[in-house]
Amino acid sequence: MTENAAFIAAAYLIVWGSLAAYVLSLRGRR
Amino acid sequence: MTTTAFPRVLPLRIRPALALAAVASALIATAMALVWAPTDAVQGDVQRIMYVHVPSAWTAYLAFLVVFVASVGWLWSRRPVFDAVAVASAEIGVLFTGLALVSGSLWAKPTWGVWWTWEPRLLTTAVMFVMYVGYLLLRSLSHDVARRATRAAVVGIVAVVNVPIVHLSVTWMNALHQLPTVLRPGGPALDDRMLATLLLGVAAFTLVYAWLLATRAALERARQDRWLALG
Repeated sequence: MTENAAFIAAAYLIVWGSLAAYVLSLRGRR
Repeated sequence: MTTTAFPRVLPLRIRPALALAAVASALIATAMALVWAPTDAVQGDVQRIMYVHVPSAWTAYLAFLVVFVASVGWLWSRRPVFDAVAVASAEIGVLFTGLALVSGSLWAKPTWGVWWTWEPRLLTTAVMFVMYVGYLLLRSLSHDVARRATRAAVVGIVAVVNVPIVHLSVTWMNALHQLPTVLRPGGPALDDRMLATLLLGVAAFTLVYAWLLATRAALERARQDRWLALG
């Protein structure tokens, strides 16, 4: 297990998760 | 006034291609960042956060430069497409600034020992974030399309001064944040594979930005058409 793996995972999940959520939000907006 | 007087932001057929390029490059860049790039000799694996942190900040700069250009375009020509691009780019820029702040915080805790500190780069980035949130709030104060666009354009032009301030803040005084590693006199100072991974990350984020901008600006154009139709 990589040291600081939680920090790395959190950074990648938050960045890509937020962008994906924004894309989905655009689909729902008019 | 007819709704066909203004060109669409991008033809519909370009956007799926942009989406595909953005997603594909993002997947490749992430694989390179987490697997292919070498582990940093000093920081260890946590340095891999750089491959999302730096591109997020770069994309925020780009987005706010586009707000500036589109704001000038609106004041110059009064074409609604410029205002649509400005608001779309500001919104996306705020998102990327937020991601740069959060990923930076997640990198700071294991390397600096703190989630946040009031040093120049962090302070100026926080100011930039708040100013563009203010830009978006200002837009919600008026429903008069032209007046709102003009007020917003003035802020969009003034606020771009944040971009060079944030970028250069690390060179002004002794700071905790590291100095520029790529855009520096004498050329990039990092491992070739790290540099390649970072540059692909920047390219991927730029494609994602272009896709989001086209989609969000098209949404705004549709809104403008509805407002114009309502008179």
